[in-house]
Amino acid sequence: MKKMNDLLLKNSMFPILTGILCAAIFTGGHMFVTYGFGFFNEIAQAEMIRQGIETGDFAAPVGFAAGFLIARVLEGPLVGILDIGGSLMTGVGTGLVGLCLASGLGFIVDSFALSLVVGAAIGLVIGGVIIGVKKAMPEGMAASGTNIMMGAGNATGRYLGPLIIISAAQYSLPAGIGAVLGAAIFYKLKKEIVGGVIIGAILLAWIFPVVS
Amino acid sequence: MLIIIMKSLIIGALGGAAAAAGAARMFKAPEVQAMGAFRTMGELNACKGDPLAHFTFGLGFFFNAAGAVVGSGALTQDVLHRIIPNWSAGALLMKNKNVEETLYNPAKMAVVGAITGAVAVTVLNSIASIIPSQLSEIAQGILGPASSTMIDIVMPILFILAALDAGRITGVWGLVLGGASHLIMGNATPGAVLGIIIGQTIQDSGYSKSVKVMLGIVIAVFGLSGYFRGVWENLFSIITGIM
Repeated sequence: MKKMNDLLLKNSMFPILTGILCAAIFTGGHMFVTYGFGFFNEIAQAEMIRQGIETGDFAAPVGFAAGFLIARVLEGPLVGILDIGGSLMTGVGTGLVGLCLASGLGFIVDSFALSLVVGAAIGLVIGGVIIGVKKAMPEGMAASGTNIMMGAGNATGRYLGPLIIISAAQYSLPAGIGAVLGAAIFYKLKKEIVGGVIIGAILLAWIFPVVS
Repeated sequence: MLIIIMKSLIIGALGGAAAAAGAARMFKAPEVQAMGAFRTMGELNACKGDPLAHFTFGLGFFFNAAGAVVGSGALTQDVLHRIIPNWSAGALLMKNKNVEETLYNPAKMAVVGAITGAVAVTVLNSIASIIPSQLSEIAQGILGPASSTMIDIVMPILFILAALDAGRITGVWGLVLGGASHLIMGNATPGAVLGIIIGQTIQDSGYSKSVKVMLGIVIAVFGLSGYFRGVWENLFSIITGIM
């Protein structure tokens, strides 16, 4: 255990770790495309891929994710912590999965084994680039940029609950009532309101279906 | 069903092991390159030493993830950011309260992370697969519009505002790159993120070599995605139309 620990703390092992993680995240994309669940990202990014599959246009997820991937891969080695949300879950799990589907390489995403292998290879490359950048750029970028992005990232999280309340209210009357009640109960219980909103809205919309 | 469970176990174990080991490395950063997120580190520190705090913190997000995966198929980023690191830390801390030998130890975190990851992902995916399809249709009807608004409007605005609040230089870079990225990529958020990083670096250390390298990469990315999305063609036809 001691030996394994020392080994896992080496920077040369970092690409192995990103490789394993990317294999899992990329294969999460396979699960989503094949079964409709298991996507390692937020609801918003899952909807991007879903819309891409329906319309055949993957520009939104690919463009959206490419920026995150590059920004986070450059930032990661300079601050010492690679943000796996932006770089791997969004960049690889959303962007590169979308890119495969868009560019006729969909057979990779359709296959569980190929997804694992390709995901691992992508992760190895990204991890290698990060360690390379870390060695090449000792002067350092501004870590304060990270704090600003963290602030904005956290702020977006706060919007999701109220947004779903509005969306539920537009969906149907029971869904709206359920969303508000769920949010109120979760807020009272000091939980993130998003959970309450989703459960409440779906439950009431399901019990009282409104035929439009 | 069996095949879904098998696949979920493999994915969960791989992702869990790597995410938990990456999280353990965060406590040795920046010398050791880690992966995770600053907020993950802050949250792990916040409940440090108390297994129950780690478990309940992760459980709150587990319910959230269950709601999301039923509704939209998305496990949420919290599975790798919060649930797996916190549950792994909690499990290790039950036996040994010394964080140096548990939470900060990537080997132990990797082993426990593989188990928690396999369990969490399999349970979440199984819940999603047995839920009636009618329910997930309702969920999509509600969550779809909310998340489009989130991506198309709320996130670009928040990131541009964050850039504007961070000083003149960062503000200009965030605004210009954000706007350009909305025109070229269809979403302002990645451009604003790049603008914030570049602007902050210029504010701190001037037009250094790393800024030039980053700018080169940004121009290449914008150029390529503009090409693939037909933006340049469009622009060209507008210009020739005027002339």
